[in-house]
Amino acid sequence: MTIRAVKTAVSIGRNGVGGSFILQCQKMDFHYCDWFGSSKGMNGFIKSLLPKFAAAHPQIEITVSPRPNKHPVIIGHYINGKQKAICTRNMEPLQILKKVELLRDASGEKNRRITKPVQSINPSVRGVWSPYHGEGITV
Amino acid sequence: MSRALLRSVLELRTPITRLPPSFLLPIRTAGARCLHQTSQIVDPVQQQLEAGIPLQPQAQKPSSSSPIAEAASNISSSSQPTTQPAKLHPSVRQLLPILAAQPGRYITIHIHGKPYLVTEGDSVRLPFKMPGVTPGDVLRLNRATNLGSRDYTLQGSPYVDERLFECRAVVIGTEAEPMRTLVKKKRRCRRKKTVHSKHRFTILRISELKVCDVNGLD
Repeated sequence: MTIRAVKTAVSIGRNGVGGSFILQCQKMDFHYCDWFGSSKGMNGFIKSLLPKFAAAHPQIEITVSPRPNKHPVIIGHYINGKQKAICTRNMEPLQILKKVELLRDASGEKNRRITKPVQSINPSVRGVWSPYHGEGITV
Repeated sequence: MSRALLRSVLELRTPITRLPPSFLLPIRTAGARCLHQTSQIVDPVQQQLEAGIPLQPQAQKPSSSSPIAEAASNISSSSQPTTQPAKLHPSVRQLLPILAAQPGRYITIHIHGKPYLVTEGDSVRLPFKMPGVTPGDVLRLNRATNLGSRDYTLQGSPYVDERLFECRAVVIGTEAEPMRTLVKKKRRCRRKKTVHSKHRFTILRISELKVCDVNGLD
C-alpha cells in the first residue's frame, strides 16, 4: 500500500478554466511511401500543406517518416497517453487536411455516447431541498 | 485549390495571431447590444435564510480575462434590431450585489435556443459541430434566462439583461460518438439496407462567470 494524498486535496485539472488552454494533441506522425500509389495524396500533402499546418501549430510536434510498402498513416498522440491513427490511403491532400484537423480537435478520449450535455464536478449551488428548513408549508 | 488552401491556413492559424489582443476588443458593447430586454423579476428565495448565512464580502472572484482574444459570441441570433436597453428595476439594483456576494453561482445560458444550466468550470457538449471555431477560441455567451446563487435568482423575462453578467466559454475541441448503425428492413422482403451515421459535437468549457456591477448602469 503506497502512501497517497488525501482525495479531497487533489485538484482536478480543467482545461480552459482560468485563462489557460492547452491543446490535447501533442504530436502527429505522418507516414508515407514513395512507391505505393495510395500514398500519392499523402506525398502531395507533405510537400504542400504540411509546412503551413506545422507553422500554424507550434504546439504540435510533427514527425514525417517513410513506411515502405504500406499505406500512408497519420498517428496523433494525446496528453492522456492515447493515440489515434487514421489511414489515409488514396486520399487527396485536402481530404487529408480534414483528417489532420480532426486529429487536432480530438481530445484523445474514446468516442462514447453522452446523453447529458453538461458535465460538472462543482457541488450543487442551491443544495438539496429540505422540508425542515425555510419558511415551511402551511397545510 | 489555392483559395481553399489560403482559407484553411487562415482558419488554422492560432487565435492569438488572428485577432487583435483582448484589451483592444470591446468587453461590452456599451449598451447597444441589449436585445429585447424588458424587465427583470427578482425573486428572493428564502429571504429569511439571509440572516442565517453569513455573506462573504467578495467571494470567488474569477480570474482575469483570458489572454486569448475573443471570438464574436452572439450565437443565438445576432440579426435582431438593436433597441434601447430597458431601465433596471430597483430590486435588481438592490439584490444583485447580494447575489454576487454569495459564493456559488449558476446561470442558464441559451445556445441556439437550448438552455444549459452551468456553473464555472463545467463542460458543455453542444448537440452540433460549431462551424468556424478552432480549439482555444473564447466565446462570450450573452443569452441567459436565469442567473442565481444559493439564495437568490435573477430571472429574465425572457432573457436576463446582458449587461449584468459576463459568461465566457473556451472551445475545447470536437468529439464524436460511436458509429450508429440502423438496419432498414421490411417484412416479407429479404432486402436489408444498413445506414450509418456519426455525429460530431463541439465541446465548450465555461471559463468565466462574473456578475457585473450595477452602479454604472442606468
